[in-house]
Amino acid sequence: MASSPPPKYFSLLTNSSSFHSTHSTKLSCLNLLDNNSHSAKRSSSVLPHATKKKNPWLDPFDDGEDPNMEYGSLFADGKQEEDPRPPDNPNNPYGFLKFPPGYAVEIASLGLKVRGDVRRCCCIISGGVYENLLFFPAIQLIKDRYPGVQIDVVASARGKQTYELNKNVRWANVYDPDVDFPEPEEYTDMVGVLKNRYYDMVLSTKLAGLGHAAFLFMTSARDRVSYIYPNVNAAGAGLLLSQTFKPNTVNLSEDGYNMYQQMVEWLGRPFRSVPLHPVPPLKVSISRKLKEFVEAKYKNAGAEKGKYVVLHGIMTDSQASMQSRGDTDSLLPIEIWANIAKAIRGVKPVFVIPHEKVREDVEENISADACILFITTPGQLAALINDSVGVIATNTAAIQLAHARKKPSIALFCSEEKAKRFVPDAEEKECTIVSSKSGRLIDIDLGAVKDAAKIFNAHPIWLCPS
Amino acid sequence: MAEAIMEFPVTTIPHFHSSSLHPANSITIAVPLRQRSNAQFSNGWQCQVGSRKSRRGCLSKVKAFPDWPLMAVLVQHIEGQRDVIIHKSVWHLNDEAIKNVYTFYIMFTCWGCCFFGSTKDPYYDSEVYRKDGGDGSGNWLYEKQDDIEESARAALWREELIEEIEQKATGAGLPELEEAGRK
Repeated sequence: MASSPPPKYFSLLTNSSSFHSTHSTKLSCLNLLDNNSHSAKRSSSVLPHATKKKNPWLDPFDDGEDPNMEYGSLFADGKQEEDPRPPDNPNNPYGFLKFPPGYAVEIASLGLKVRGDVRRCCCIISGGVYENLLFFPAIQLIKDRYPGVQIDVVASARGKQTYELNKNVRWANVYDPDVDFPEPEEYTDMVGVLKNRYYDMVLSTKLAGLGHAAFLFMTSARDRVSYIYPNVNAAGAGLLLSQTFKPNTVNLSEDGYNMYQQMVEWLGRPFRSVPLHPVPPLKVSISRKLKEFVEAKYKNAGAEKGKYVVLHGIMTDSQASMQSRGDTDSLLPIEIWANIAKAIRGVKPVFVIPHEKVREDVEENISADACILFITTPGQLAALINDSVGVIATNTAAIQLAHARKKPSIALFCSEEKAKRFVPDAEEKECTIVSSKSGRLIDIDLGAVKDAAKIFNAHPIWLCPS
Repeated sequence: MAEAIMEFPVTTIPHFHSSSLHPANSITIAVPLRQRSNAQFSNGWQCQVGSRKSRRGCLSKVKAFPDWPLMAVLVQHIEGQRDVIIHKSVWHLNDEAIKNVYTFYIMFTCWGCCFFGSTKDPYYDSEVYRKDGGDGSGNWLYEKQDDIEESARAALWREELIEEIEQKATGAGLPELEEAGRK
C-alpha cells in the first residue's frame, strides 16, 4: 500500500486523460470509480472521523492527513495554548521578545494553520433573540475548545441585544444576514470590517447560497463554516466554503433547542489527542448593573424581589415578543393570561409587555394596579427572571432564560412535539410542560396550567441564591 | 437724433459710402465693428472697398476698445455749409454686462456684510466655538457604542471569574484564595 501512488493523485491523472481522449470515457470512468472506492476505504481506516467526503475541487492535492507525520514541539498535541505570544526578554534593551531557539517569526503562523488553531472567530447568527440565545452553548464550546480565542458576533439588531448576557463575546456588530438585498454600503462596510479583523474562522448559521457564501469568502477567513440550503439554492456555495452543514429543513429553528447540532458536533469534534468536546448547557450571565437597573424597575412597578412570577408571551404584533422562528404559534391573547393569573396565589404575577400599546389591554383585562413591566431586551428579561420565583411563559426566550438561571418554569406549547424539541429534558430543568391537544396554542387546557401554577404557591417566599 | 438708425443693415453699407456723393438730409449710422468685419468676409467686393476705406482710417481707426459694441458717429449735413462732423463716443453696456456688474455688486455686498459682520460676533470669539473639538482622539467619527458594550462584557467576564474563584475558595476552604478573589 505504501508503494502505490496516492489514490487521489492517480484518479486526477485518469480524469485528465479522459478530458484529452473523449472516446475512452467508459474505461476512465471505471478507473475513477475503482479509485474512489479505494481511497474511501483507505481514508476510513486511517481517519475514522473524516467521514465527510471532501470537495476535490477545493484542493485536488489534498490527500488528507499524513499518518506518518511526526509533530515536533511546534506542533504540540492537545489544545492550543491560550496565549501564543512568547515572553518578553528583560535583558534586551530594545524590548524584543524572548524567542525559543528555532522559533522563526516568519513561519510562526504556519503552525497555527497546521494545527487548526483559532485565535479569532466570528459567528454570523441568523434570526432573532431566541436563535441567538440558543447559540450561547456553541460559543461556550468554542471558548473551551480553543483556549484564548476571541469570539465576535454579527447578528441582527434584535439578536445583538442578547449578547449583553454573554461574557465570552468580544465585539457584537449589527448586520442582518437574513436581509436578501442589503444596502450596498452596509454590505461593503461589513465585508471590510470583517476582513480587517483577520479572522481564523467564520461560522454562519444562515443557510448559505452562493451569495452568502461569497460574503463569507470575502472575509478572507481561513475556515469558512456555514449551513447551506438543503435544496438547489445551495448550488455553488460549497466551492466558497471550507465546511458546510446541510440541515433537514429550510428553517433551522424548527429543530428547537438543538438547532445547531451539526455545527456544534463539528466544533467539538475530536482532533488528534483532543477528545470529543461535550456541548455545555445554556448559561447566561447578568451584570450587576443590569440587575440593579431591573430591580429599580420592578420595584417601581410594585413587585418585590423573590415574590413574583413572570408571565411572558402576550399576543402582540411587536418585534420584541422573542418568539422562535421555528414556532410561530407561541403567543396567547391577554384574556387567557388574565385567566391564568387568577390561579396564582401568594405571589404576584408580573406581566411583561413588549410594547407600550399593550399596557392598556392588560390594565383593562386584569386590573388597573396590575404589575406591568415594559421590557424588550433579553438582558432585562433575564435579570427580571433571575429575581423571580419562576416563570410562566409560552415558547419564548423567557423559557430558555428561566432554564439558564435554573428557575422553575411552566411552559405552554402548541403541541407535544414542539415541546419535546424546544425543551428536551424538562424534568431536569424544573420545567412543567403544558401542551395543547389540538395543535393550536389557544386551545390550551387552562385547568392544567392552573394546576401547574400551584408549584409557585407551595413556596411563596423563595429567596434566590444570588 | 429722431432719425437715428441704430443698426444699419450690412448690405446698405455701400449706400452709406455713396451718400457722401449724393447728400441727403442726415444719416446716422451705427455699425458694430464685429458685424462689419463679418460683412467683409461675406462679400468680396465689400472687402475691397472696406479695406481701401479703412486705410484712410474712417471707422476702424478708433480701436481703443475694439470689442465694446457701440460707437456712434453722427454726421450732419447742412445745405451751403461745410459738413460739420460731430464725432461722439459713448459707452453703452449691454444688458448682460449691466447684469454682471450689479450681480457682482450684490455679491460683494453680501459677502462683506457676512464677513465683516461675523468678525464682530462674540459667539465666534467665544470658547464654545473656538475650543478644540472632538474627544482628543483626532477622529471625528464616534462609534462608541460597540466599545462600551465590549468593555461591559469584559467587565461581566471578570465579575463572573471573581465569583467563580470565590465559590471555589469557599468550597475548598482556602481563605487565602478567597482573599485573592476579593481583590
